[in-house]
Amino acid sequence: MTRIKQLLTKGQASWNLILIGLLVLEFVVFGAANPKFLRPALLFTSINDNLPVFMIALFVTLVMVTGGIDIQVASLVGLTSITIGVAWQDFGFSIWAAVALAVLICIACGAFSGFLIAYCGVQAMVVTLGGSFLYSGIALLISTLSSTESYQGIGGFPEEFKFIASYQVFGAIPFQLLIYVAMFAIAFILLHKTKYGRKVILTGVNAQAAEFSGINSRLVIMSTYVLSAVAAAIAGIVLTAYLGTAKSDLGGSLTMDIITAVVLGGTLSTGGKGSIIGTALASFAIAFLKFGLPLCFKVGTQYLNIPVGILLVAVIVGRSAASSTGYLSMLRTLVSSKVGNGPKVKA
Amino acid sequence: MGRIKNLLHARSMSSFAFLVILFLVVGLINPAFLTPSNISACFNTSVVYTLVAVGMAFTLFIGEIDVSVGANLGLVAAVVGSMLRDGQSMGLAIIVGVVIGAMIGLINAWGVAVMKAPSLIFTLGVNGVLRGIVYVYTNGAWVENLPKGFKDFSSVTAVGDLTVYYCATIVLVAVIQLLLVRTKRGRYFHAVGDNAQGATLVGLPTRTTKILAYVICGVMAAIGGIIFCSRIGFVTPASGNGYEMKAIAACVLGGISLLGGVGSVVGSAIGAVIMASISYLLVFMGFSSNYDNAITGIILIVIVVVDALLQRRAIVKNRHARLAARVSSGTEVAAAAMEKAQEGGEA
Repeated sequence: MTRIKQLLTKGQASWNLILIGLLVLEFVVFGAANPKFLRPALLFTSINDNLPVFMIALFVTLVMVTGGIDIQVASLVGLTSITIGVAWQDFGFSIWAAVALAVLICIACGAFSGFLIAYCGVQAMVVTLGGSFLYSGIALLISTLSSTESYQGIGGFPEEFKFIASYQVFGAIPFQLLIYVAMFAIAFILLHKTKYGRKVILTGVNAQAAEFSGINSRLVIMSTYVLSAVAAAIAGIVLTAYLGTAKSDLGGSLTMDIITAVVLGGTLSTGGKGSIIGTALASFAIAFLKFGLPLCFKVGTQYLNIPVGILLVAVIVGRSAASSTGYLSMLRTLVSSKVGNGPKVKA
Repeated sequence: MGRIKNLLHARSMSSFAFLVILFLVVGLINPAFLTPSNISACFNTSVVYTLVAVGMAFTLFIGEIDVSVGANLGLVAAVVGSMLRDGQSMGLAIIVGVVIGAMIGLINAWGVAVMKAPSLIFTLGVNGVLRGIVYVYTNGAWVENLPKGFKDFSSVTAVGDLTVYYCATIVLVAVIQLLLVRTKRGRYFHAVGDNAQGATLVGLPTRTTKILAYVICGVMAAIGGIIFCSRIGFVTPASGNGYEMKAIAACVLGGISLLGGVGSVVGSAIGAVIMASISYLLVFMGFSSNYDNAITGIILIVIVVVDALLQRRAIVKNRHARLAARVSSGTEVAAAAMEKAQEGGEA
C-alpha cells in the first residue's frame, strides 16, 4: 500500500512507471498478436526508423523545460542533410568536413533563433515558426546549388560515412543506437546532474527569480536552442547515412512526433518540469506503437497519426484534469485513508 | 479627426503600409507588375489563407492557438469534394462541411476551455487524428472530377478582377471587424485574451467566449476548405498540410500577438495577402519560387523582432516619462526612491 502511495505522490517517477507499463503492455499485446514483433532485428529496425525523433526529443525537452518551444528542429534536419550532400558532392569537401560544416550551420541557426527569443523577448513559438520557414527555405536554396535535381536526392556517399548507420556492434546492435545512448546520457546528466540543468529548470519555473538569484537566464535560454539545433544536426547526419540520400526536405514531418514524445514524457509545456528518462520512454512507446500496429493488426501506416494523436490528446487532457480538479490528490487521499485504516500500517 | 488618427495608429495599419511598400518595390523592379489584374491576382490567391487566418485570429485573441486548422481544412475539402462528385446538392455539402468544422471547433474548445489542456499540444493531437481520418475517409486516393460549375465559379469576378470569393471574404472580414469592435460580446475576446482571470472577475463569460472562439475558428477553416475545393479543383489526402503555420504567420504579420488580447481580423487578412503573394511577387522580381520559404521566414522574423523591440522601447519610454513626471512634482525623497527604482529596472 505504501508503495502505491509513493507511486502517486512522486510525480515524475510514477509517470515513468506508467510509461514503462505502457511499453510492457505494447510488448505483451503485440507479441501475442504476432511473435515476429519480438524479433530483435525487427525491433532494432523500428528503433532505427525513429531515431531522429528520439535524438531531437531529448534536447527539445531542455527547451520546453525553460518554458519555450522549438518547432524549427525538423527543418534543421533537412538543412543538415542537404548541406552535407551539396558540400560533399558539388564543392569537393571531404565527407567529414561537410559534416562539420553542417553542424556549424545548425549551431548558427539555433544560436540565431535562441538569441532572438532570449535577448529580444520574442515569443519562442513565433521565432521558431519563422525559423522553420527560413531554414527549410535555405535548405531548398542549397539544393538548387547542386547539379543533382532536388527531388532525386544526393546519393553515393563513401562507405566510411554510411558506416554510421550500417555498422553493428557485436553484429547485432546498430551503431546509431549507441550514438543515441550517448546523447541520452549527455542530456540526462546535463538536465538532472549538473548545475546547468538546475539553472535550466529554475529559468523555466520563474525566469525573473532566476535572474535575481544571479543566473544569466537569457544565456541559459539561448543555450537550450543551440543544444536542440545540435541534436537536430546529429539526427540529420544519422538519417542521411541511414537512408543513403541527402534531401532538403528530410525530417520535415517530424515536428509533431517530437513534441508528442516530449509532452507524453511528462514535460510541462509551461516549463519548469521535465524528465529526460520520461522523454526517452515516451519516444520508445510511440515508436513501438507505430511499428506494432501495422505489423500485428494490419493498420495502414498512413493511419498511424490517429492512435498517436489520440494518445497525445488523452494524456494532455488526463493530466490537466488530474491537476486542475484534483483527481490525483483525490486518489492520493483515498489511498492514504485506506492505509490509515489498515491495522498494521503506521501513518 | 480623432477617429482617423486612431485608424492610422492601429497595428494593422503598419501591415497595410508594409503590403503597399512591398507592391511598390516590386513595381519599381518590374513595372509590369503594377497592373490591376496582377494586384487582384495577389488578393484572389489569398482567399483561403485569409479565411483560415481570420479564424485563427480568434483563438490568438483569447491567448490560445489552434494548429488543427490545416487538417480541418483538408477533411472538410475531402468531404465536400466527394459529396459534390457523387452528385449531392451544393447546399447540403456546404452545410455538412460547416457542421464538421464547427464540431472540430467544439472538440478543441472542450479540450482547451473545459479541460484546460495546453492549446498548442491539444490541437496538435487533434491535427494528427484529423489527418489520419482524412486518409481513412479518402482511402489515400485523390478526390477528383468535381462538377465543372463548382470549379468554374472560383474564377467568376465581381468587382474588377477580384473574384466573388474574395469580395465576399472582404465583406465577411469587415462585418466580423465591426462586430468585434462595436458589440459588447465582440469586445469579450480581447478582454479574455488580455487577462482571463480579470475578465472572469468582472463577470465576463470567459469559458463561453473561449468556446465561441474555437467554434468560429473551426467554421472559418471549414469555409476555407470548401473554397479550397472550388479553387484547386481536386483534393489530396495531404491538402491543407502546413496551412496552420501559414495562418499563424499571417496573423503575426498582421500585428496579432500570440500572447493574446492584441490585434484585429483586418490585420490577419492583410497578413494573409502578404503570405499568399510572396511567391507571386518573387516571380516578378526574377527569383525562382524556391526563395518562397526563406523570404517568408525572413519577413516573419524581422517583423516580430522589430515589433518586440519597438514595444520594449515604448515601455521604457513610458516608464521614464512617468518617473520624470513624479520627479518634477515630488520631493527629494521621491526622487531618490525613483532613482533606485530606475536602477532596479535597468539591472
